[in-house]
Amino acid sequence: MSAILLIAVPLLAAFLSIMMKKLSSYVLLAVGIFNVVLLLILPDGFVRIGEFNQPLGINLLLDTYSRIALLLLNSLILVITYLNLKSYKTYGTILLLALAGLNGLVLTNDLFNFFVFLEISGIAAYLITTSNKKPRSTFHYLMLGAVGSSLFLFGVIILYAMYGTLNMVGMIRLIQANGNYKEVILPFTLMFIGLGVEAKLLPFNSWVKGVLGNSNTLSGPMIASVYAGSMSFVLGRLITNLFDFQGSLLTVVTIILAVGILAGDLMAFASTKTREILLFSSVAQASIIALLFVNGIIIWAVYLIIANALSKTVMFLVINKATKDIGSDESQDLRGLFIKNILVGVTFTLATLSVMGLPLLVGFKIKLAFLTGLADANHIWLIAIILIASVIEGIYFVRLLVKLWYKGDKEINVSYNFSFKTVFVIIALALLVFGTYSTPLSYLDNSIDTVMEEVNNG
Amino acid sequence: MIQYAAIILFVFGLYGLFTNKNVIKMIISLNVMEVGLNIFIISIGFNSDPNSIAPIISSTNQLSSVFVDPLPQALVLTAIVIGVGTTALGLAIAKNIYKTYNTFELDEMEESA
Repeated sequence: MSAILLIAVPLLAAFLSIMMKKLSSYVLLAVGIFNVVLLLILPDGFVRIGEFNQPLGINLLLDTYSRIALLLLNSLILVITYLNLKSYKTYGTILLLALAGLNGLVLTNDLFNFFVFLEISGIAAYLITTSNKKPRSTFHYLMLGAVGSSLFLFGVIILYAMYGTLNMVGMIRLIQANGNYKEVILPFTLMFIGLGVEAKLLPFNSWVKGVLGNSNTLSGPMIASVYAGSMSFVLGRLITNLFDFQGSLLTVVTIILAVGILAGDLMAFASTKTREILLFSSVAQASIIALLFVNGIIIWAVYLIIANALSKTVMFLVINKATKDIGSDESQDLRGLFIKNILVGVTFTLATLSVMGLPLLVGFKIKLAFLTGLADANHIWLIAIILIASVIEGIYFVRLLVKLWYKGDKEINVSYNFSFKTVFVIIALALLVFGTYSTPLSYLDNSIDTVMEEVNNG
Repeated sequence: MIQYAAIILFVFGLYGLFTNKNVIKMIISLNVMEVGLNIFIISIGFNSDPNSIAPIISSTNQLSSVFVDPLPQALVLTAIVIGVGTTALGLAIAKNIYKTYNTFELDEMEESA
């Protein structure tokens, strides 16, 4: 058994499922379960494809960092597919392609291979958004995604021309040995912009409003949770190990991310549409995660990605199902949604309060830990920006919750089936349990990412 | 020199992409940009030495000979295939856009949306 199966099996199943389109979602469920089981038994380490040693050949790296990312994305795709088994059963092939692309993206240690998986997962993402029936938004996403990946490739090729390798570990060694950071500013900037498009970082994320603002129970959680989570993980790996921002580039990136946090929350504050509130909140959270990676607070950034992915899955599923049944996502039209859906309301409230970072929920522990980390590093103005953004976040989320809990002019009926409720309850319980009993969170530390260890060990 | 031409082509494509409002013209701009990028990749491995040989090791051609770097050629093949896939998907979405809005112009879609 090898980690290559995590990519090869979904890819093979994607081709085979074209011949049995109606069964494709069931094939995806089987592949998803296979991947999760495989992840639990595979040992850590490099997988050398074709038995070529580094820096020749393509290597895959499975360590605690990539294992957490893969477990999260494989399980979430499994859950989202199960919940949409009846509504979007022909999307199985596309989701299998997405699974192969995202697994490859997290695992690969080769920068050109990274670009290939970026494109595979990107094409799957554009196809997933076609389920919104808004071709204009999908086209906008496709164009920006293609420009982003082209810029990323441009950066990779410049690095190859400079150092003669595409292997990430080998390249980090050569960059360290060279010691001239000014030389790599241009390729790193191009690569960061390219990944910023997919990771929803401001100002490269103009596609988000059209795609997530018209999302459904498939595209909403897939783009906002699975893709956003995976892209944050890969961006984090590159920021921590390869980019290692320094000097003026560090200042520029920090300012861009800080503005992204404030702008995302302000746009959510100004919006009256529920899906827009959630998507702009995601934009702000993506910037916070990137900021933590830039400052080396890896473990809390990882926990924040997991907590956000789980919370946003619940929030997008609840809102998108209601929007589908009612035909509007204006918060005014969804007044009183939770009066007849108390259980769903409670789980949605817990997920929202966790994103806000209120005590007793896991979001609070994470926020407290990373703010302490930033304070230790003397980044007082970053703490101030995050706290101001949290206040704005608190206002618009409480305003939304009040509307959803209190009765409006007309009565609304939205029914959530048993599967939806089960998923909501499990996720809400997880947020609550890890919020009150946070000892397991301290088992892991920043050493979960082993790329630098490999670089130093030779 | 060829790298400057590639970068100019890339910038032309990018400019076309952000200034055009016609869906088909945008896809063509994207292709121009990708061609620029592909030429840039090829130019990395290019060798103008008249004594350079094809990158094949044989009894007469040894590793010490000057040869063209074959890796960018392999990379550019992959990049071309991915570019074709993206273009095909873009055209399929363009067809869908025309079916929905009866126009290829993004400005007119905003009015009818």
